[in-house]
Amino acid sequence: MFIDIGCSQKKKYNQNAYGDYFISKRYKDTGRVIAILSDGLGSGIKANILASMTATMLLKFIEAQSDIRVACETIMNSLPVCKVRKISYSTFSAIDCDEDGNAKIVEEGNPQFLWIKNNEIQEPEYKVITSKTFTNRHMHLYKINLEKGDRIIFCSDGVTQAALGTKELHLGLRREGLIEIVLNKLKEEPDISSDDLTRYIVKQVEIIEPDHKLKDDTSVACLYFRDPRRAMVFTGPPYDMEQDNLYATSFYNFNGKKAIAGGTTANLVARELNLEIQPDTNLNVGKLPGISYMKGIDLVTEGILTLTKTAEYLETGVAKDDAAGKLMNFLLDSDEIKFMVGAKLNQAHYNPNLPVEIEIRKNVIKKISNLLEDKYTKKVDVRFV
Amino acid sequence: MKNIEVKICSGTTCFVMGSSFLSELYEIIPQKYGDRVTVKPSLCLGQCSNSDKHSKAPYVKIDEEYISEATIEKVLNILDKKVCGNE
Ligand code: FES
Repeated sequence: MFIDIGCSQKKKYNQNAYGDYFISKRYKDTGRVIAILSDGLGSGIKANILASMTATMLLKFIEAQSDIRVACETIMNSLPVCKVRKISYSTFSAIDCDEDGNAKIVEEGNPQFLWIKNNEIQEPEYKVITSKTFTNRHMHLYKINLEKGDRIIFCSDGVTQAALGTKELHLGLRREGLIEIVLNKLKEEPDISSDDLTRYIVKQVEIIEPDHKLKDDTSVACLYFRDPRRAMVFTGPPYDMEQDNLYATSFYNFNGKKAIAGGTTANLVARELNLEIQPDTNLNVGKLPGISYMKGIDLVTEGILTLTKTAEYLETGVAKDDAAGKLMNFLLDSDEIKFMVGAKLNQAHYNPNLPVEIEIRKNVIKKISNLLEDKYTKKVDVRFV
Repeated sequence: MKNIEVKICSGTTCFVMGSSFLSELYEIIPQKYGDRVTVKPSLCLGQCSNSDKHSKAPYVKIDEEYISEATIEKVLNILDKKVCGNE
């Protein structure tokens, strides 16, 4: 199974820093995923520091310990108490799970998470563990098994307490209200991605708040267990020309979505497999060459300029609707991405007449794959051929 | 009368060397010559790795002939001659 992770956050109205903090890490080799949502006391910059400290430390602890319980207990026992309010500085939810669906979840102070299976809420059992140093602190420990299609949703109390005190929702949205929003959305869009779902929930919370002003930091994180969406990008002609046919065929037979980034590569695939290339004139405006069409291939773009631009788009998160924007969407709509990078030097780019500095392919791909892994939590595999 | 085929290269080298300025040809050519000339974009025409120092991108291919350092005027001049010759 693939674990699709998404998180969406909005700040409390009129604050300039997030008081909630979400962090997640995927371990490529073992299929393990750790994710933490922490809510710092109060709002603004102080809360931000508390929450981010709690979350990052917790991640490091869980990573190092084999047992999430020990890690969380250590943090629970050592989190300081606010002198004024006499409550702890931050609350948290943490999950340590793997692609086989084994999951351990710990909650301390945050609203109870949702576990959705076949569009129904599950009510798993948990163990209560009381802090030895602060007897008013308890954490809930869950050990559950997740199956394909299951979702886990965490949120900060900004969500469950939204619209608190209003005429319509006197007691706030509460867990029941959140469940209703989520289940209705899932009925409408059963395969919605974690990113889209969390964004939708935060939007709904904003809508029910009076004047759409959030009274607290609002964060929703989701883990969705499903089949991975696979994609492959073929860029650059392979080193060994004799093998062109082999690579072209293996690319074409790949089970998933396919993109080619590079004119020479596209020509090669077309030649070896007897396909026709149809360049599109429409997008050929502005700073990038346009896309082309080939039967059986989802996207064909130019190479190095488009890849460089794509890296830039991935970095900033904003894209134009050009070839690089299309390539970015192609990548973001996939979970497992394989890059097949031809290592043959492209003579064309050693032309001293070229007016722009062109980073070589390998570096650009490296940059893109790092961004996809770190910023977008994708599983990436780069193979040089 | 034979149809003339124009291919404008939009490969990397040609593109950075200015082939995007040739995109006006997609409008001008049909207006000027109607269906006597077809024009379409192309991926790398394979000319840019040419070691011939006198030959430079961007390239346009008109039937079997490669035009180097192509400009709108250059392409239209050649087409004018070819269209007259064809008639
Ligand atoms: S890019 Fe135009 S001939 Fe190669």
